[in-house]
Amino acid sequence: MSGSRSREPGRADGGMSRRQLAALAAGGAVCALAPAWARAADRPRPGDLIDSAELPAREASWYAKLDERRVECQLCPQGCTVADAERGTCGARENRKGTYYTLVHSLACSVNVDPVEKKPFFHVMPGRLALSYATAGCNVECKFCQNWEISQFRPEQVTARYLPPEAVVQLARQSGAPLTAATYSEPVISWEYVRDVASAARSAGLHPTVVSNGYIKPEPLREVLPSLAAVKVDLKSFRDEFYRTQVRGALKPVLETLELIRSSAAWLEIVVLLIPTLNDSEAEVRDLCTWVKANLGRQVPVHFTRFHPTYRLTNLPPTPVATLERAWKIGKAEGLEFVYVGNVPGHPGESTTCPACGAVLIRRLGFRVLANRLAKGACPDCGRKIPGYWGEQ
Amino acid sequence: MSRGISRRDLAAVLGAAVAAGRADGSAARAEVSRRLGVVATARLRHPGRPDDDHAAAAAAAAATTTTTQPGEPDRATLADALRRALASATGASSGGASSAGASTVGSGLGRLFGPGDVVGIKVSCLAGRRLSPRVELVEALIEQLVACGVRGERIIVFERTSRELESAGYTVRRSGGPYLCYGIDNDFERQPTTSGEIGSCYARLIGETCTALISFGVVKDHDLAGVSAGLKNWYGVIHNPNKYHDNGCDPYVADVVRHPLISSRLRLTVLDGILAQYHGGPAFRADAGFRLDTVAASLDPVAADAWAWKVLDAERARYGLPSLEQAGRPPRFLATAERYGLGIGDPARIQEVRA
Repeated sequence: MSGSRSREPGRADGGMSRRQLAALAAGGAVCALAPAWARAADRPRPGDLIDSAELPAREASWYAKLDERRVECQLCPQGCTVADAERGTCGARENRKGTYYTLVHSLACSVNVDPVEKKPFFHVMPGRLALSYATAGCNVECKFCQNWEISQFRPEQVTARYLPPEAVVQLARQSGAPLTAATYSEPVISWEYVRDVASAARSAGLHPTVVSNGYIKPEPLREVLPSLAAVKVDLKSFRDEFYRTQVRGALKPVLETLELIRSSAAWLEIVVLLIPTLNDSEAEVRDLCTWVKANLGRQVPVHFTRFHPTYRLTNLPPTPVATLERAWKIGKAEGLEFVYVGNVPGHPGESTTCPACGAVLIRRLGFRVLANRLAKGACPDCGRKIPGYWGEQ
Repeated sequence: MSRGISRRDLAAVLGAAVAAGRADGSAARAEVSRRLGVVATARLRHPGRPDDDHAAAAAAAAATTTTTQPGEPDRATLADALRRALASATGASSGGASSAGASTVGSGLGRLFGPGDVVGIKVSCLAGRRLSPRVELVEALIEQLVACGVRGERIIVFERTSRELESAGYTVRRSGGPYLCYGIDNDFERQPTTSGEIGSCYARLIGETCTALISFGVVKDHDLAGVSAGLKNWYGVIHNPNKYHDNGCDPYVADVVRHPLISSRLRLTVLDGILAQYHGGPAFRADAGFRLDTVAASLDPVAADAWAWKVLDAERARYGLPSLEQAGRPPRFLATAERYGLGIGDPARIQEVRA
């Protein structure tokens, strides 16, 4: 085929080598984990590259059948009504004669082993690794998406490998990663896969996490939350106007998601990407922090991170560090106990300090943990308990 | 409320057409502007059946629903209807002489296409073999292009994927044969470009290979857009059509076509209306298909869809269904496309010329 150039973002595949993935296809231990049908000749084996024309489809878990072969997707607030032969906004779910299918279950387009700080999680097992995976597609369209080459494409438009939940777990173990992370694109659109990976990971003693835009309906979220150790949500703005014009979504459902996660046992962290002139005003940052404190509590970490021009938003400069520092100060002034500065390696705002005595507890440089002084989840100097999902200390 | 085509309409479309057209320029532009709002329709001439009007044809075909019935039109019948539609659409049959001479059999395509063109014909094959442009019709169009001096290896029939083409009955080939035929198959520009509300990577085939484009669609209902005919067909050349189906696909359909990669190359729209579908689209539904036995052609891509809207509403009325407007899904993108200067989107203001 001449000229075809499937999408495969190098940055997302940098850590997990193709050799490791190919090893899955070549046989090895994972094959023994695969269900019998997966070993049949006409089925892909774990690690196999998937022919874009032969996407394996599984019936979706959250939808309603309507008249005339239409379906209503009940996974995310887009609430797509989808006619026969059409797909939802995410591009990853398709109506086939009145039955709705996910096209991305077990179809990983990016697999990598990252430090958990890259997600970023700063209160989840510091310095440990997360087997990170993604599928193609997204239910919104952020004009500033950093991973648009997978999130804004359809499953058949990106290179992907068959990676069933058991294989994700196997790769995590082989890589020494105690965590799994559904990340890079939008896990919501592959929620059945996320659910099954989380379940398999829990059974294997791993710690499943999700990095999401939070644009999901309550019911599917409730079903999967009990399996998750932690969730990071991108709160892209505190203005609905921004969500409508820059994201093609809405603010309210994301706020409801944050509250629902906070009410669960899963650990929650929030990331706010500050984009010059669009969502970085003092008033908006203050409103956001006030809301977080009032509705989620002062102990939920909030990361203010730096924007870099990309995708459809290339006419704006990177966020000035001064803007991030202003947000950092606003967050603290509003009473949030764990406010961070992100995407500025070496900035003191990367480190975790004790809200009681001010001692630096976890010193970071970029995604690296330089020092971790936490003692059983507490400050060694004053004994203040530091909230988080710390795992074995 | 019907009114004529105003100077403002003409100026708007001329503005969009200025950048349009073939390398040698002015003739194609002049044709497009001269034929603004004109949709030519040619009914099949069945042996032994008088050439009646649409209503009578529809009534005669009311009992029939699918292409599997006896009496499927043969290649010659289809080619005849296509040639008449083209000749009328281009004005060749109303006294205008074809610049390409008798070899074009009067289709008038010589006014739009020439030997220097690489012509891309985007066919709409989502609904499979039963509701896609017939191969015979597309090949009849290709014969007319070849008669204009466009060599076969410079004519590319394409769709989103080669698989969809094959499912619709086309033979995929990237070289050899009387013309080329293949899918975009994920070969998109590396960076997205913005057109109005959309931000998309367009097929490289459009921008890097073709100098002229033809939309070859069908006449069918669409669950969200209302009408899927010649304009929505262009959703097949962007990487992310799934992002642009809210609000009845408005303004997105118009935004996709307004992009210079398409608007500067699009010269002709042809609709296979042999079998149309008044409800339940975009997928094929046998119980909503109806024999229209018509080929439509227009140099005005918006008017072609406005005509399709009229046809679908008329058929829906025959079955006691609400109009598309009443059903809450009028093709609003037509008014937007007209506002952009792409053509005439008001069904009351188009001129149907029966060939």
